Amino acid sequence: MQQSTALTAGEHLAPASPDHAATFASSASDRLAALVTSSDDAIIGKTLDGLVVDWNRGAEAIFGYGAAEMIGQPIAMLVPAGEADDIAPLLDRLKRGERIDHYETRRRRKDGAIIDVSLTISPIRDRDGRILGFSKVARDVTLLRRQRALVERSEAHLKSILETVPDAMVVFDAEGRIQSFSQTAQTLFGYRPEEAAGLNIDQLMAPQEREAHEAFMAWLAGAGQNLGIGQTRPVTARRHDGTLFPAELTIGEMRSTSGRLFTGFARDLTEKAENEKRLRDLQAELVHIARFTAMGEMASTLAHELNQPLTAIASYLNGCRRLLAASHDPQAEILSHAVERAADQALRAGEIIRRLRGFVRRGETERAATNLTVLIEEACALALLGAREHGVRVNFAFDNRERWVLVDKIQIQQVVLNLVRNAVEAMQDSAFRELTISTAVLKTDSVIVCVADTGPGISEAVAAQLFQPFVTTKRHGMGVGLSISRTIVEAHGGHLWMEPNPAGGTMFLFTIKGAPDGG
Amino acid sequence: MAGDPVIHLIDDDGEVRAAIAFLLTSHGFAVRVYASAAVFLESIASAQPGCIVSDIRMPEISGLELLHRIKQLNLNLPIILITGHGDVPLAVDVMKAGAVDFLEKPFADEALIAAIGNAIDQFEAGVRRDEETAAIRERFNTLSAREREILGQLVAGLPNKVIAYELSISARTVEVHRASVMTKMRARSLSQLVRMALLALEFQ
Repeated sequence: MQQSTALTAGEHLAPASPDHAATFASSASDRLAALVTSSDDAIIGKTLDGLVVDWNRGAEAIFGYGAAEMIGQPIAMLVPAGEADDIAPLLDRLKRGERIDHYETRRRRKDGAIIDVSLTISPIRDRDGRILGFSKVARDVTLLRRQRALVERSEAHLKSILETVPDAMVVFDAEGRIQSFSQTAQTLFGYRPEEAAGLNIDQLMAPQEREAHEAFMAWLAGAGQNLGIGQTRPVTARRHDGTLFPAELTIGEMRSTSGRLFTGFARDLTEKAENEKRLRDLQAELVHIARFTAMGEMASTLAHELNQPLTAIASYLNGCRRLLAASHDPQAEILSHAVERAADQALRAGEIIRRLRGFVRRGETERAATNLTVLIEEACALALLGAREHGVRVNFAFDNRERWVLVDKIQIQQVVLNLVRNAVEAMQDSAFRELTISTAVLKTDSVIVCVADTGPGISEAVAAQLFQPFVTTKRHGMGVGLSISRTIVEAHGGHLWMEPNPAGGTMFLFTIKGAPDGG
Repeated sequence: MAGDPVIHLIDDDGEVRAAIAFLLTSHGFAVRVYASAAVFLESIASAQPGCIVSDIRMPEISGLELLHRIKQLNLNLPIILITGHGDVPLAVDVMKAGAVDFLEKPFADEALIAAIGNAIDQFEAGVRRDEETAAIRERFNTLSAREREILGQLVAGLPNKVIAYELSISARTVEVHRASVMTKMRARSLSQLVRMALLALEFQ
């Protein structure tokens, strides 16, 4: 630095004052000598055989030897003991007229310390071009090397972190050009690293995201509003093959000497979206079944209610016919006939109701021996999607005498799902949210399943009509869940009922018969 | 026989109860009505012999549970169950539990009358079996200790020689005892004797 400043100053001086040109030229060698003397770099003159002839202060500082100690000595004495002498091959190259630039090697100081040096050596020639000796500039690069190693290490560290981050990471500049593409990004977007480099970031977006993206890039360029560095937003991303997928995008900014760079972290939401879709489908199916079951229940109730009077009618009429048969009244035969026809009509009405029920009933349910624990766990996995995010703590307490139950698995899972979702919803506004799902094997070979919440509990008024169809405390609900659940449980020969939770809140319990052979 | 069998009719719906009672009476049956299974069970000790026609869906004790209890008590009271709420699984449960028949409301009177006919047949068969058992037990009580011992060996299927060896008596003595057992039990063959012994021992 000092050197170049001095030279620049010298060059400026020359044309600025032509009268002083001669004076300037005559003092040039003095100035050069001063320059050499004051340089921080070691400047060393050597003979063809490598004997030191010049040794400046910089050399004294770097190597620790004084000029008096070094002049006349072979330069090779600076090579660390036990390391290969690289002086001879260097001298050979120099003798052939080569120049050696920034050759990095190790040398030993007078105090024995080994230092890293960068050497630049050039031949010194006489007017005829014969090589007289060499001038060598040596710079201590020990510190520089150490810093460089540190940087390399921290870079490697960062790289290893980025490679293991589960999110895809893309680094891009203010123009949207991709600078770096993580391993995960390659997998997620389907680009090989060489394909991704230099690609514009908009290639990773779904067409419908382009507008938002352009606004974002405009903001990056300094116009428009802040679109939220550091915020996470859902986007639709595009793979190399053109397929689209839901993702979550977070953009960070970094400033370096080479300008502003942005890091985009993208997380694939496909699985989450699929789960949500599965849940929505299941809910739709559930609502459909709920309506169907509600209709079935209505038909069933109707059947029972109507069959009673029809039975009475048919019985009275048949009794009359029987009595008329014993009568000798001339009208008796006609009356008997009419009464018989009337009784037949009552039976016909009963048949119509039977057919209606048969039509509404969705076939016979398919019952099979099912592991109750697995059944409950599966139902809960669906019912609890998102529940933990809402701060609901979930406990399972299964009776370790594993029970097999003879059930229509889907139907009983609907019951569990209903109860668990009700419980989670009930705790929405509670400070303490704990859901406990437990089972207990009873002596009677039945199993009791309990779903307990810590919600506000159920008032007596609501409890009284809890299982009535179309009665609900929810804003969005048909009020058929519990009545259907009870219908299902009873169809399996069990009971479903509600009790206050001793720990506060509500417990719903139902029993289910064990499969005959156990497990 | 001590009078005709009585039909015990149980239904929680008063109108239905009255109508079926009317129908059965018109057919000449003696009918007793009950508003619930609990009421019937209270008076079961003094209940006249016959059969039961009961609704299934009733509060507290259902018709199916009544059926189980009657079977547990080992009473000769065949049961016909009726329901306004029938389905196949229920019908299977009912028949497995040992009901004579299962009818869905409303039913044709012929169906009910036929079912009651079967129930009364079962009841009477039960009565005959009870009487026969009582007679066998009476005859069994006339056997001496040694004769009972030999009857036990015969039921176990042992030949005379083995019985003689087991009891350390002569084969001839065994034959004498055996003839005496056959006479006292009024058995015409060994197989008849074995059947009688099983019937008698069943209630021992």
